[in-house]
This record gives sequence, structure tokens and C-alpha cells, in this order.
Amino acid sequence: MAIASKSADFRKVKNSLAKWVITLGGISVLFTLVLIFMYLLYVIKPIFESAKVEPHAQFAITESSKVLSTGVDELKEVAYSINEQGIINFYQLVDSARNKAGTKIHSQKLVADGERLKQLINIGQEQKLLLDSAGNVQLIAPKFTSNFDSGAREIIPSVSYPLGEGYLPVDENNAMLKKLSFAMDDEKAIFVGFTEDSRLIKTSLIAEDDFSYDTEFEAEYEEINYAATQVDDILVTPDLAMVFIREADQVAVYSLDEESELKATIIPQLAQSKSTPNHITSMALLSGGSSILLGADNGEVSQWFEVATEQGREFKQVRSFKVSESEPVTAIYTEQFRKSFYTETPSGEMGMFYTTSDADLWRGQLHQGNAQAFAIAPRADGLVIFSEQELSIFTVENEHPEVTWRALWQEVWYEGYPEPEYIWQSTSGSDDFEAKFSLVPISFGTIKAAMYAMIFAVPIALTAAIYTAYFMTPGLRKKVKPTIEIMEALPTVILGFLAGLWLAPIIEIYLPAIFLLLIFIPASVFITAFAWHKLPREYKAKIPETWAPIILIPAIALAAYAAFALSPVLELHMFGGDVRQFITNDLGINFDQRNALVVGIAMGFAVIPTIFSMAEDAIFSVPKHLTSGSLALGATQWQTLIKVVLLTASPGIFSAVMMGLGRAVGETMIVLMATGNTPILDWSIFQGMRTLAANIAVEMPESEVGSSHYRILFLAAFVLFVFTFVFNTLAEFVRQRLREKYSSL
Amino acid sequence: MISVTPKNLSEQNVKLDLNNLSPEQVALEIKNLDLYYGNKQALQNISMSIPKGQVTAFIGPSGCGKSTLLRCINRMNDLVDSCKIEGQINLHGENIYNKHTDVAALRRKVGMVFQRPNPFPKSIYENVVYGLRITGENNRRVLDEAVEKSLRSAALWNEVKDRLHESALGLSGGQQQRLVIARAIAIEPEVLLLDEPTSALDPISTLTIEELINDLKKQFTVVIVTHNMQQAARVSDQTAFMYMGDLIEYSDTNTLFTTPMKKKTEDYITGRYG
Repeated sequence: MAIASKSADFRKVKNSLAKWVITLGGISVLFTLVLIFMYLLYVIKPIFESAKVEPHAQFAITESSKVLSTGVDELKEVAYSINEQGIINFYQLVDSARNKAGTKIHSQKLVADGERLKQLINIGQEQKLLLDSAGNVQLIAPKFTSNFDSGAREIIPSVSYPLGEGYLPVDENNAMLKKLSFAMDDEKAIFVGFTEDSRLIKTSLIAEDDFSYDTEFEAEYEEINYAATQVDDILVTPDLAMVFIREADQVAVYSLDEESELKATIIPQLAQSKSTPNHITSMALLSGGSSILLGADNGEVSQWFEVATEQGREFKQVRSFKVSESEPVTAIYTEQFRKSFYTETPSGEMGMFYTTSDADLWRGQLHQGNAQAFAIAPRADGLVIFSEQELSIFTVENEHPEVTWRALWQEVWYEGYPEPEYIWQSTSGSDDFEAKFSLVPISFGTIKAAMYAMIFAVPIALTAAIYTAYFMTPGLRKKVKPTIEIMEALPTVILGFLAGLWLAPIIEIYLPAIFLLLIFIPASVFITAFAWHKLPREYKAKIPETWAPIILIPAIALAAYAAFALSPVLELHMFGGDVRQFITNDLGINFDQRNALVVGIAMGFAVIPTIFSMAEDAIFSVPKHLTSGSLALGATQWQTLIKVVLLTASPGIFSAVMMGLGRAVGETMIVLMATGNTPILDWSIFQGMRTLAANIAVEMPESEVGSSHYRILFLAAFVLFVFTFVFNTLAEFVRQRLREKYSSL
Repeated sequence: MISVTPKNLSEQNVKLDLNNLSPEQVALEIKNLDLYYGNKQALQNISMSIPKGQVTAFIGPSGCGKSTLLRCINRMNDLVDSCKIEGQINLHGENIYNKHTDVAALRRKVGMVFQRPNPFPKSIYENVVYGLRITGENNRRVLDEAVEKSLRSAALWNEVKDRLHESALGLSGGQQQRLVIARAIAIEPEVLLLDEPTSALDPISTLTIEELINDLKKQFTVVIVTHNMQQAARVSDQTAFMYMGDLIEYSDTNTLFTTPMKKKTEDYITGRYG
């Protein structure tokens, strides 16, 4: 008795233990799935958040004269102001060991005694051109160095002179300058100025060695042929290629190569109405120096860049932003490394915009229209405003302005492109590159690769499944089915590797053979079947029925050999000796060695076992009494197959195909190695593509953690997740419907 | 001893001499039929004549070969790989095991209904017209007529006439079996083979099918396999008793159940084995 009750107890324990372990397993699978989903969303979320500008600190500071320029160091610990008296003052913004926040920590006079600053021109966010009342020109840059002597970090401000401390010889005749602009690289600095005697001058200072460690230079002077008495704005592009000169509502563009010459004239078509005269009120150079922004007094800012047209290259208005309903745009401030810009109107209304994504990021009022100087922090994470008696610091949260729904899924007009396009190009060699984050080409590539794979795989897998399940003898079926299923275990990296390095060149060389195979293989099958049908019975009897299909193997081998042998002949006589050239030149189709055909075959090969295995099971499990029922009504095997077997197995066949599609969509290694990874939008069978999965695999290792690029790759992963989710849900839904309709007994 | 009163005897008193049928009375003639599954012989030298327009029942214990014999009549055994058949089955004086026989055409003349109802996963209508459609008949009027006629013949018309285009799988087991019979008679066969048609059904459905069989013999020659002796006694005109692949006794139903000639038959019908 004791033993019996013990074993009953043990059984109970085992039972409940099993129950809990299984429940735990099930729940943890679901939990993991939800966790993956949540993590993807968590990484993606910041790119869709709107920008924020918040007050950070304010200090009551009274300057002795009007402030002409301001700025802040990278860490936002020290700000500076340059006033009309030519004095630069540095202010501590956060408490440090030596200084309290709000105190003046350093001051320096930048002009000679008795002189004042007549004009200050901000070049980028660091350099300042100083024009004093005697007509002298200086280039300065506030400099911040970190010092750790006191045990904690202390920012030590100073002033540096990138072109030397002396006055710069901008004009040969030493005339007073009304307007001036400048840009430099390590070897050359170019000034373009407009003098009081109405000459437009270009002065190049050519470094004897390299400006980064030696400020010795030689000056070259040139006068630009320009007939005007008035110039409103001059902007030299940072790459020293062009200068934009604005005179009222017209902008002239000169190239700055060897000889300066007029390239183009931009005349914006402003809405001319009598009640609201429309004029350009401001101009700024967008980061990268290929676009200019023009602000008008109707509150609009338009972006212009050079575009290749049928008449050659010309400047076009690409997009515009409505900044204000009624006020003119008095100033445009651009960020140094991104395509963001800030606008300002007389009442102190400010706006933050991003050109590429057409994004209206933020609007607000940061001052009461009394600001004397405005600056963007070097890392674009803050703003500094100097008004008469106050220094205000703002923090800016604007990590991912380049990502909007529009930029991801709609055509975007990128700098230098003739028209809006879908482009994925996330990185480039240069810093001021405009990142192109359209998910359209890579989503398209995913679908294209999957489609070509399915075109190759579905007919083969389904006919093989039908034959194996319905016509093959049980003995042979037992061998064939596991063999095909083992193909599934083949690592896809090997398939991709073979496809990219072995198959792709073969297909390129024997392209006519590939298309001949499409005709030869089915033809050889039909001919063999017909010959078998006509063969006298005594010969047929010699081959056991089980092995009858084997006679197809030599027939197909012969057809393949014939196709490959005929290929060079065909190439010589029909395609002028080179099919590739024929396709490219005569048909006008681009030919990539790694193309959709290669991917279709390689990925089709990977997908066949999945489809075959499930479809075969579905067909094989059609109840025998249904097929007997059909045969007993006088149907042939073929009629029974079409009208009863495939109909009853249709839910299973459908899910087999959808599983294959799901696998093709998510497949990575084959498409990575055999597509060429070109993100283009083209259905052509001779062109490659880039898929979502391959894109993630290629770019994830080189993207900076937390950057827009990084988050967009997570978004791509999320899109892939949604793709497979939608395919599977759709498949399951249709399958349930079919099953309801065709379920057998 | 089970007392049996074959009810059809009261209706039809014409007794046939099964060993001496005139050619026009014969629907099927089985001659010296041997059947092997691999090396195992399943049927031994079966010879019998099945009369036209009557119900013939095959009875016997499980594994006696009655279903196998039935399946020989429309060559359903062809589907079994290791099956080998010697001897003849003559339909209209022609051996169906002839080399040139069109098996599909044969099966249209010799219809079959299986043990378990096996409607196709299609509508009731499409199930009935399946046999016509595969011969290429697509004329709507012909099909509509055939559906009504065969469903009426199968005593199903009144139950399903309002839902012809609903799935056949929604019918009850008994209705499904009558649908399958309707499907078989829609192509107007000469002979109808019923392989234990009521073994998967409840008693009431069984009764309906049995009444139906009684009506069917007016149009068709019916051959039924059953392991239910009462059923054989109730529905059949002739009964063949088989045992271990041999045809032991074949005579009119009344004689077989009341005065069997062979000891084995008597033992079986009295329930000594089976």
C-alpha cells in the first residue's frame, strides 16, 4: 500500500512539474518575441520625435556697446561676445573650480587703440572677419582649450588667428570694403569683397606651405567683371568653388576656378503683387556649400541648387518653406554639419527647419525682437542669444531631423539630382554629404529578390511535390523525400558564395544557354515521355516501374549539354559574338554580373526544400478514400489529381508557398553575396538589387551607435519584421479560409 | 438460429436458377477468378453469375475476400501495386481484364460506393455532377436535370434542394452516403457496387439506405458487400457466402438463410464464428 501511494505522489509531482515547465517555455517564447518587438520600437522611436528647444541658463550681462557676434564652446561651458568696440569677452556658463557661472573670465581687445569695429562677418560657426573703422581686415577664431591643472576640467578661452595676427591684404588699393566674404582650406584662402569704389574683387592668399602650421602666404589679386553699384550679400562656398553675389532680388553665381567667370544668375520668381512687395531679405549657404537659401519678405525661404538639365547645369528652386505668415525673414542661420537652418523674423519669431526631409521641426519665440547676436552651438545641441542686457543659453534636442515619414517613403529631391528620386545612400567619403535614407529601393529589392526566387522555385517545388506524393512508388518516395529535405540544411552562405563567385560568371558567359535550357529541358521531358509511351511493352517490362523516371536523367543531361554547346554558336551568329554587349548596346538594358537571375536561381534553390516538403505532406495526406471516390466515378488519375487532390491539398500548398516566400524575404547571406547590393529600383532580370536584410548586414557594423543611420537600420529591421508578419498573417488567414472550404473528412 | 423473413420475397416471387441463367438475365459473369496479393492468394477460383436488375449480397467473416471480389468488378484493385489477377469477369460478354479495356469507361459503367461516405470538399451540386463534368458535360440544363434526378433517386432531394450550393461536408453521415450514391448514379451506370455502405452509419440512416437499395434495383444491378447478415437478408435477392477466399455457397437469399446447403454457411449464419 505504501509503495502504491508513493508512486501516485510521484506521478502527481511529475505531472505538475511537466505542466509548469511547458507553460514556462511557451510564455518565454512569447515574451522574447514581444521583447524583440519592443526593443526595435525603443531604438526607432527617437527618429520620429519632434525637436525641442528649452531655456537652459540666463545671465544678466551688460555690454559696453552693441554686440556684433556671439558663440559658445563645444561643451557649452564658456560663451563669448564681440562688441562694436572690438572687445571680445568670455563668460563662464557653469560653475567651475575657479569661476562662478555668469562671471567674465577673459577679455581681449581685437582692434588697434582708437579704432572701432565697423563690420563683423561670421564665417561658419568659428571664424570671424573683422573690418575696423580704418579699413583693416583681420581673421580671428575664438579658441577653447581644456585644462586639468586644478583637478577638474577648466575651459581656457583665447583668440587664435588662422591667417596670422597681422592685417590681411585684401585689396591691392587698400580701399574700404562694403561687403566681404571668405573661405579657406589648408592651401588657399579666397576673399571676395565689394569696395566703396564699386569694384568686385577676388583675392587669393596662397599658402607657401600649409595654413595648418604656417601662416606665410602670397597674395594674388583679381577684379571680377561686375557692373553694379550695390551688393547686399556675398557668400563664398567652403570648397572655394563658387561665390554667390546678391544684388537686391537677383543672385549672380561666379565660379572661383583659375579665372572667375559668371556661371549663372538666379532670379527668383517672387509672387509679385502690388499690396505686398516681395523682395529677398536674407541669404545663407546651406551646410556643404551646394545650396543657397533665400529668405523673402513674404515669410518664405526657398532652397536653390545646381541641377543638370537639357540646357546644361542651372540653378533651380527645389523647395520652399513658409516660415512666417506676414513677417519678412530677416536672418537665416545654418548649422555647420547638417542641413538644418534657423530663421528669424523682426518680432523674434524663430523657426527650425531641415531641407532634405522638408521638415518643419520647431517654431517659437526666444527673444522679444531685441536680440543683437545669435549663434548655434558647435554640436548643434544649443543656441546662444545676446540681447541688450541678457545672455541666454538654450538646449536643443534635435538628433534626427533628416528622418521623416516623407523622407523614408516618398521621392526626395536631393542636392545635385535633376529630379526627386528614391535613393538609399547612407554614407559617403565626405563630411558634408547629404545622407539619402529612402527605404523604398531596399524594400523593393527585397520583394524583387523574393519574386524571382519564387518564379524559379514554385514550379519546380510544386511539380516535384505532386510527383513524389501522388505518382511515385512508396519505396522511391521514402528515399527521395529525405534527400530533398536535407538540401534545406545546406548553409545559405555556401549557396550565396557559389552563386556569387561560380554561378554568376557562368551565367554571364553562357547566357544564351540559360535561356535555351528553358526550352530544352521541358522539350526533352516531353519527348522522352512520348517515346516511353510509344515503346513496345516488352522493352518497358525490362525496366521496373519504380525506376522508369530515371530514364529522364540522361535526357535532361543531354538537353543541358546541347544548350551549353549551342550557346557560343548562337552567340556568334545571332548576337554578334557577345550577348552582354548585345543586351547593353542593342537592347539598351544594363547588365550586371550579379543580377536577379543569379539570385532567383540561388535563392530559389534554397527555398525549394521548404516548399517541397510542406506541399508534399499536404498532397500526400489527402485521404485515399477521396481519390478512390473520384477514380470510381471514371475519372482518370490526372482528373483526380486536378479536381480532387490539389483542391483538397490547396490550404497546405498555399501555406507551403507562403512559407517559401517568407523565407525568401528574410534570407540574408545569398542576397548579400549574389545581388551586387545595388539599391536600384528596376525590375530587370539583368540588374541587381539590395534587400532589407542584406542592407542591415552590410551597414550595421559601420554605423555609429545612436546615429540616425543606426536607428534607420533598426527601422529597416522593423519593416522586415512587419513584412514577414504581414505575409504570415495573410497566409494564415487565407489558409484558414481555404481549410474551411476544402477540409476533407 | 436467427429467424429471418426476407421482406423482398413477398414483393418478388420470381426465383432464378442461378446456375442456369439465360444470357439476357446476366449482368456480370465471373469466371475462374484468382487474385494474389504478392505471394498470398486472396481469391480462389471464383465463378458466379450476377443477375441483372437484382440485389446480390456478398457476406462472410472479415478477411474472407468479399470486398476484394467486389473491387475486382470495377478494377479498383489496379491501384494496389502487388495485386495480380487471373481469370475473367465478363460484362456484356467482354472480359474487363482485357488489355484494351478503358478502365475509366468501365468504372463509369460499374459505379461504386464505399464504406465511409466520401463526398468531395465541394458543393452538393458539384459533387453530384462530378462524374458528368469529367466527361466534359458542361451544359447547365443537362447538369441541373441530372442533379435533380439523381438526388430524387437517392431520396435526398427534399432534404437538400434549398442548399445545393452549400458544402457537401455540412451534411450528416447518412445524407453524405446518400449523396455519394446520387453521385454514383448520376452517370447512369449499369451496375452499382456498394462496399459495406451502412457500416459507418446510425440505425435510422441505415434503414433509409436499405429502402433506397430496394428502389435502386429497378434501375440498376446492385452488388452489396455487408457483414451484417440481417441486412443481407433484408435487401438482397441473392446471397453469396465467402470464406477464406472461397465462394462457399451462392443461392437466393431465402434459401441460403433458411436451408443452407453447406455446413460452413450454417455455422456462420447461426453465429458460430464471424
